[in-house]
Amino acid sequence: MPHPIHGRRAVILLALGLTTAAAHADDVPTAVPAAAPAAVSGISMSGISVSGFGTVGAVHSSDTHADFTSSVLKSSGAGASRRWSADVDSRLGLQIDAALGKRWSAVLQMVSEQGLDNTYRPRVEWANVKYQATPELALRVGRIALPMFLTAEYRKVGYIYPWVRPPVEGYGAVPITSSDGADATLRWNLGRVRNSSQVFFGHADQAVVPPQRAYARGVLGLTNTSDWGALSVRVGVIGGEITTVLAKPLFDALAGAGPAGAALVRTYAIDHKHVNVFSLGASYDPGDWFLMGEASRTNTHSLLGATRSAYASAGWRHGTWTPYLTWARVDAVGATSSPGLPLDGLPPALAARAAALNAGLNTLLATIPQQRSVSAGVRWDLCANTALKFQYDRVTPRAGSRGTLINLTPGFASGRTTHVASVVVDFVY
Amino acid sequence: MTRSPLPRRLAAALLLAALALSATAGELVVVVSAKSAVTALRPDQVAAIFLGQSARFPDGSEAVPLDQPVGAPLRDAFYLRVTSKTPPLLKAWWSKMVFTGRGQPPAEARDSAAVRRYVADNPDTVGYIDRSALDASVRAVMVVQ
Repeated sequence: MPHPIHGRRAVILLALGLTTAAAHADDVPTAVPAAAPAAVSGISMSGISVSGFGTVGAVHSSDTHADFTSSVLKSSGAGASRRWSADVDSRLGLQIDAALGKRWSAVLQMVSEQGLDNTYRPRVEWANVKYQATPELALRVGRIALPMFLTAEYRKVGYIYPWVRPPVEGYGAVPITSSDGADATLRWNLGRVRNSSQVFFGHADQAVVPPQRAYARGVLGLTNTSDWGALSVRVGVIGGEITTVLAKPLFDALAGAGPAGAALVRTYAIDHKHVNVFSLGASYDPGDWFLMGEASRTNTHSLLGATRSAYASAGWRHGTWTPYLTWARVDAVGATSSPGLPLDGLPPALAARAAALNAGLNTLLATIPQQRSVSAGVRWDLCANTALKFQYDRVTPRAGSRGTLINLTPGFASGRTTHVASVVVDFVY
Repeated sequence: MTRSPLPRRLAAALLLAALALSATAGELVVVVSAKSAVTALRPDQVAAIFLGQSARFPDGSEAVPLDQPVGAPLRDAFYLRVTSKTPPLLKAWWSKMVFTGRGQPPAEARDSAAVRRYVADNPDTVGYIDRSALDASVRAVMVVQ
């Protein structure tokens, strides 16, 4: 895929070029003694700032028949592969922001975490150039965080949110966090309500099981965030056409099984299928406590299934301690199994083959997540840039589904509760 | 810009005082240049400017916040009273802004005198200083406390 690499290089070069130019920009506030356009902290020079984030964590799961993990884009987790896993939440991120004057800036963010290939090879999460046309209107081109959900844009930065990880039931629906394209964000006020509206257009190319990939084309996203005092409400809709060669042998075999097989391929294959996700979230955070909740609905006609999910979370801040409770669920909307190819009247050899294909199809359909979980945890702010968190989750996949669990072994049973214990240290620098 | 009715201002002051129980810094004032046309700001307007949610004064002119240094008691008291954010919550806020590409935190000046000097010379800048550092070069547009 020479094109994206070429694009990334261009942005990196541009980012480095901007740095030199920014050193000569006259609006850097050098007139202020000891003033610097400070990053969150970290190194801060005129026009360029380097910041980063990371999580070091360990997770234990009671179920040895499946792996608990934080995203379907992980190769393993805690449970079946090993009782304790450091791969569920651990990651490291580095971000370079370069500013050229008041209007232009560029950002490059690299993230290293376990992927489907079981390596921590760093990935370019973002690489974009921003033009601040007015104080209210920002335009960006490049690799941009997908505008989704309340916390999706920063789900990799554990320090920002109270939990060990955002609820897997809600955020599992869209595992891809960034895509290549352009967006525009407009801030506007309605009385005392501050709004930020964003429109995004682009595409995404995600490695699934190497060398297989998933492609999302024509991704269009719209979000609006409204802030009124401590209340924040975010509504978003995102749609696109996705294609992946995942399970290609199964669909090839079904396609060769007559009109009934072809109909199953049309129904379930992820081949130029439109997907859209609608989400509505709200948080109320006056400082001493917080309450937040979000609901989303995913629609697609493919083996990815249509789902709806919801979570609610509340916490109380006592000095440096923030205990919290979270409840989350995800349910399928519609069937999660299929009668498959009709077996009646087939000769025994063909019937056995058709039954095997039906079993394969139903195994895939069981991956449509249906799960409930309850979590209790505590965040302890050790200092101004480091937090230690403990969390206990009761995770129950339901109705024949494997929920968000991966790497099932034959002993796995849907409906059985898995107990997950996590400890992480989150930091930003 | 007319002032808010007294009962509302009193209620806001009481609320801020309640939120700032642990704060120990002296009285704070939000200041703009004496050359600025801005005469008064509400706490929510000051909060929006310092949290990167708004880049304009109520009259539509551009507003640039200038901060006190990280760790200064004055800074911690200001954010606790105006935005209800403790230092870790403020850190989390700016982490969110930086790591979603929405913005960078305000520039910082060394102390109240440095903030006053810079604000006096730059009508688009807004800062906060200890009341004792006030002079005729700047105008107090909000009293924090």
